[in-house]
Amino acid sequence: MGQQLKENRILFFMVVALLAWCLPGAGHFLLNEKKRSIIIFVTIVLTFGAGIYIGSIGVIEPVGAKPWYIAQIMNSPMVSVLGYATAGGSYPVYGRPGEIGQIYTSISGLLNLLCIVNAVYLANLSRAKVAGG
Amino acid sequence: MPIMDIWIMASFTSPERIGINPQSTLWLIPLVAAIAIVYKATKLPTITLGNFIKETMALFGSTVAFMVITTLVLYVLAWIIAI
Repeated sequence: MGQQLKENRILFFMVVALLAWCLPGAGHFLLNEKKRSIIIFVTIVLTFGAGIYIGSIGVIEPVGAKPWYIAQIMNSPMVSVLGYATAGGSYPVYGRPGEIGQIYTSISGLLNLLCIVNAVYLANLSRAKVAGG
Repeated sequence: MPIMDIWIMASFTSPERIGINPQSTLWLIPLVAAIAIVYKATKLPTITLGNFIKETMALFGSTVAFMVITTLVLYVLAWIIAI
């Protein structure tokens, strides 16, 4: 019984984390934290959108800028679709706009990572409350 | 495809024109705002409009103030070393 409860908890945390990764704020939405989820979604999407607007979608570069790409993919797995499209180097990216775009998209990814961790933490707290902890 | 759609899509496939000048560092301000908003959204126990705006502005202001102070200190240091 205890083992099953523990497994369910881990599964629940994984679902929360996966949802939060797939769509910024969705993890908090699942936990009924609607205000938080809206704020997180709007801010992260706007920051990421600003980054690819300033630097072009070429700032998502899975081959030439791998460390940046790892941070960028924290926004959502859908970023890998953009990475696949830009892998051939067909979109120009250069100079200061390229730097700013890369920083914006990477920071928004790292902010989403913070939100994923926070969503799992809140899920743990709410589970502990339900269990009477 | 309507011209408006093409224009929007095209604006994401070529970079904006931003020169390498001191003004370009002002691009950090929206980023600091985004960091302050998301950080406070995760840290506040309950979110009310007034409290959230107050807390976010305090974090945003202190971050920008710290960066300005750091810039001034580095500028003075560079000036002292140069003379």
